[in-house]
Amino acid sequence: MFAFIVRRIIGLVVVLFAVSVMTFLIFFAIPGIHPERQLAGRNPTPETIAAVKHEFGLDRPLPVRYALMMKRLFISRDLVSYGNQALKVVPAIWEAAPVTFSLVLGAAFLWVVGAIVIGLVMVTFKGTFVDPILMILALIGISMPVFWLGEVVNLLSQDRLHDTFLFSWVPPLGYVPLTQDPWQWFLHLVLPWITLSVLYIGFYARVLRANMLEIESEDYVRTARAKGLSPRRVLVRHMLRTSMITFVSLFGLDFGVLVGGGALLTEVVFGLPGVGMLTYNSLRSLDLPVIMATVLYGAFFITIMSAVVDIIYARLDPRIRPA
Amino acid sequence: MKRWFVGSASVLIALAFVAAGCGGSSKKSSSGTTTGSSSGGGAKGGTLVTVANAAPSGSPDPQVNYTLQEWQLLIITHDGLVGFKRTSGKEGTKIVPDLVTSIPKPTNGGKTWTFTLRKGIKFSNGQTLTGKDVKATFERLFKIGNSPNAGTWYNVIQGGDACVKTPKTCDLSKGIVVNGDQVTFHLTTADPEFLDKLAVPFAFILPASTQTTNVNIPPPGTGPYKWVQYAPSKQIKLVRNPFFKQWSADAQPNGNPDVITQKFGLSVEAEVTAVQNNQADWMFDQPPADRLGELSSQKYASRVHVNPLTATYYFALNNNVPPFNNLKARQAVNFATDRNALVKIAGGPKLAVPTCQVLPPNFPGYEPYCPYTKNPGSGKWTAPDMQKAQQLVNASGTKGMAVKVNTDTTDTDKALGLYFVGLLRKLGYNASLQALSSDIQYPYIQNSKNKVQFAFSDWYQDYPAASDFLVILLGCDSIHPNSNSSPNIAQFCVKSIQKKMDQAGQLGITNPTSANKLWAQVDKEVTDQAPWVSMYNPKYIDFLSSRVSGYQFSPQWYFLLGQASVK
Amino acid sequence: MAEFAFEPEPEVRLAPGESVKEIAGRSPWRIAGRRLVRNKLAMGALVLFLLIVVVSLLAPVYAHHVAHTDPFNSNLTGTTTVNGKQVEVIQQGGGVLGLGEIPIGPTWHSNYFVGADNQGRDVMARVLYGGRASLQIGVASALICSFIAAVLALLAGFFRRGTDAVLSRAMDLIWAFPVYLLAISLATVLLTKSTGLQWGPIQVSASSLWLPTMIIAVVYVPYVYRPVRGQVLSVREKEYVEAAISQGASNFRLMFSEIMPNVLSTIIVLLPLMIATTVLTEAALSFLGIGVQPPQASWGTVIDDGQSLLYTRPWVAIVPGIMIVLTVLSLNVLGDGVRDALDPRAKVRVRE
Repeated sequence: MFAFIVRRIIGLVVVLFAVSVMTFLIFFAIPGIHPERQLAGRNPTPETIAAVKHEFGLDRPLPVRYALMMKRLFISRDLVSYGNQALKVVPAIWEAAPVTFSLVLGAAFLWVVGAIVIGLVMVTFKGTFVDPILMILALIGISMPVFWLGEVVNLLSQDRLHDTFLFSWVPPLGYVPLTQDPWQWFLHLVLPWITLSVLYIGFYARVLRANMLEIESEDYVRTARAKGLSPRRVLVRHMLRTSMITFVSLFGLDFGVLVGGGALLTEVVFGLPGVGMLTYNSLRSLDLPVIMATVLYGAFFITIMSAVVDIIYARLDPRIRPA
Repeated sequence: MKRWFVGSASVLIALAFVAAGCGGSSKKSSSGTTTGSSSGGGAKGGTLVTVANAAPSGSPDPQVNYTLQEWQLLIITHDGLVGFKRTSGKEGTKIVPDLVTSIPKPTNGGKTWTFTLRKGIKFSNGQTLTGKDVKATFERLFKIGNSPNAGTWYNVIQGGDACVKTPKTCDLSKGIVVNGDQVTFHLTTADPEFLDKLAVPFAFILPASTQTTNVNIPPPGTGPYKWVQYAPSKQIKLVRNPFFKQWSADAQPNGNPDVITQKFGLSVEAEVTAVQNNQADWMFDQPPADRLGELSSQKYASRVHVNPLTATYYFALNNNVPPFNNLKARQAVNFATDRNALVKIAGGPKLAVPTCQVLPPNFPGYEPYCPYTKNPGSGKWTAPDMQKAQQLVNASGTKGMAVKVNTDTTDTDKALGLYFVGLLRKLGYNASLQALSSDIQYPYIQNSKNKVQFAFSDWYQDYPAASDFLVILLGCDSIHPNSNSSPNIAQFCVKSIQKKMDQAGQLGITNPTSANKLWAQVDKEVTDQAPWVSMYNPKYIDFLSSRVSGYQFSPQWYFLLGQASVK
Repeated sequence: MAEFAFEPEPEVRLAPGESVKEIAGRSPWRIAGRRLVRNKLAMGALVLFLLIVVVSLLAPVYAHHVAHTDPFNSNLTGTTTVNGKQVEVIQQGGGVLGLGEIPIGPTWHSNYFVGADNQGRDVMARVLYGGRASLQIGVASALICSFIAAVLALLAGFFRRGTDAVLSRAMDLIWAFPVYLLAISLATVLLTKSTGLQWGPIQVSASSLWLPTMIIAVVYVPYVYRPVRGQVLSVREKEYVEAAISQGASNFRLMFSEIMPNVLSTIIVLLPLMIATTVLTEAALSFLGIGVQPPQASWGTVIDDGQSLLYTRPWVAIVPGIMIVLTVLSLNVLGDGVRDALDPRAKVRVRE
């Protein structure tokens, strides 16, 4: 087990290194990318550009530039954005992360509860009209592009139905920190939470249903039934619990992706200044220091969650040793 | 200067504005205008809360930043030796003495300027301003190494060129001589725009003790406010400078609000909502297109002000690359362009005015001129002349050539590009769109290596002088081959026209009026050569909360934040 | 989204209501086909999907013969007839100030059926053309992705050890790499290089649909690779493979004639779901302005165009969204049907 964990940690470092090198190389492969030009302002003379280039070490060979950037990102932590030189990259991520965590944790709560409830209802009412209806609803949830759903939600809640009792409570787009005003924090996030979780509720409810139906035919479930345990007890104690293994591992991966900036579209549509928004803005302005930091941040969460999932699996079944 | 909000993609929309006093834009605006230069006008106190999508781009250093967003704040925290009069209307383009007692006449053929500093002016750290600070400020401009215009505007000071080459050891003792309250500038050549250059934030005086590397918050200045917070992802905060005593209501009137903040991070949509609900007093960005209807309505119209800008939106035609190295081809596109369609993209006739020429209206040297219209002669554009355009294309022999239309990716600019893709196809070219991220596009189109044929750009005045458009954007000296900094995007260079520009520049030192006549001629001759497709002059929308009074729009600095009152 | 969670079994089992007689002696593929045809829901989804394909293919017919517009050229100063009256396609805003310009709304007639975008183009025509692009990208990238993933998974699962380790690490890398970064940087590179990219005989220019296709295909390789590799590993252990090896069969033959057929069903089950996913991804990329390049249309780009008109002309963004939902929904239902047909295990429940 210990060796396995060490191997995964080494794997994590290797992946992060490779991701950062790839980001760096792709960035400098883009013709027209001249950070010194960005740094020098609007209409500099060629001399000024040359001076800025030297000042920021941009005339050095690529490996040296890469090392310098990594040093400023991880060791001295004073890497600044190319776009606004008062913007320090590391604090910027620290400020954006709570927004993303607020969004993803709330949505995750909704989707776990929602998926379990709907999954249980579908299994319980299997064979009746309820099951296929919920099934189709879950499929519709999976089929909606999240950014489009967000726009439609905005259209209704901010404009068309804003003055009706349904949505009159909806605050303007944006984010209010939890520490500043918990109630406003909650109000600002309700619709983003729902929008983000719709897809996952649909997906997880279906996974759960399929899993539970599969387990239903297993011997130990039949034994439990034969012993005269109540159907509810069998459902929750035996079937749900066992199905949660797949559920939890899938959840781990999705959670990692979202916390790492995968909720970009939701953040953009609802104007939430999280890591996804930061990524989006830095990509639009091709601001390498911020791109680098957000990419590494995202890769870190994705890789670590997938390692955690593998470890959980390995604990459950020692035969599994993912390559 | 290039549009200041490049990069903040959401803004996009059309610029706008409101002809001061024209259109139904509110009684308030006219009452605001009449408060004019009255310094102490309006009630004092309170906090003016402004919102913006993002912090001004670039370094926050006052000698490096080149955005209107930061300049609007720097003008109330710092002073130049001279300044633009703080008022609305044409008066606002006038240069008045600020830190100095009067505007001197230059001697030695325009090469020597001697100023006398006012006595007793203090920085916000309590130090008294002296001649030493003036000299140090200009040396610092070169020493920091990344001040954008150091090598183009200020190298005219003797010793400046050496400073550009070796910034670290910059020494301007020859160029700036301090003698008590007297500061004398020695220039290498006469410069008709020297006073304009002293009146913009690059030349605002900083304490001599300021570090010679970029600062993260503007250092102490002499204006009525001082910077206490600069957090690029949160907010900027200015409070009153306790050492400020008003010395000239024209140059630096005392401010009305006690505190001025600018909050960042709201989407433009949310900015509109915040101002509508009076949660913010003013939004820096332009309102998005789908909110303009609301702002036009009875409910908000009185809080909206629209002013014309001295700016031109254009597509540059590369004069060195086929097909637009052919005069007939360039003129053909100009004749074919339906400027009404472009105005629609820019938000309609209330927000943009069609143009065919380089200089914007209300600008020194401007005389209406438009040869590229049906029934030319009036100077006004009325309708495209498709027939003439087709004839010219046929005659040019460039039909069927491939043309890439280059724009940036903001909505409005991309829409303008798409219009031209369609138009060029109609004219018989094989046109396609190349839409690049704003931060890449501007350097990319300047570089002659990239052989860009047809590129979107725009230009906002730095200061009111014809040369700020004609020389910078269309002068032979503004072409730097294979450089990302070559503002003459069209690579337009006609010897005879260049000669006239030089003449007009010389004349400007002694006789500005006849110089402007000459500039008008240059504008016409350039327009006849069709290096650009000039599209329109934009207008600007200011949307205020209901508690703001004393709105003034300076043609140089736009909304004067310090003169507004929130009490 | 998470990995596709399923694992079909190679053996044939009975579906509910199926007798042994019905499937005895038939090939598993024919049995699956029969089951699929009997699944009314899946057939309905298939019909819906084909309908969307056909309608999209008919886009030129609609544009030229019904709406009489050019959906790729701006029509800012044009007019159209509504209820017998000539009206401008783009009208100046009203109110006291008259700021802004508003495109015409839905006419519910042949011309500008759901209105115009802010270029004055017919949105319905653009949505139909957009369907061609979106579907082409979706289907092509799903096929390319499955192909690449299958080949890599075969190599990794067959040779195991070093090959497997290297390929699986590479998959981790792609997995962790943000798709948006890849898309935006590739798009920028291609846009600024006048000739586009060249890989041997294949030339890709920035405006080509192959660019988003390739990006999306690459990004989803790990999603297909993981389940297929697992299956290859288990098939590799089977007696008949060992037997073939002992008979001296070549690696190539082993991979493609012994193992491939056994994992094919996995890929086929995944395919509709993959297309659903790639269609959604294309929409997201285009929405962010880094997928299909203007003036071409795709559903995502039309939604993007509609974003700036959301409060005034919401139909511009809503219509392409509905098309996406219908397409993806039909593919998901079809995907369920295919899975059930190939692997009825999920439905076989003996109730005692």
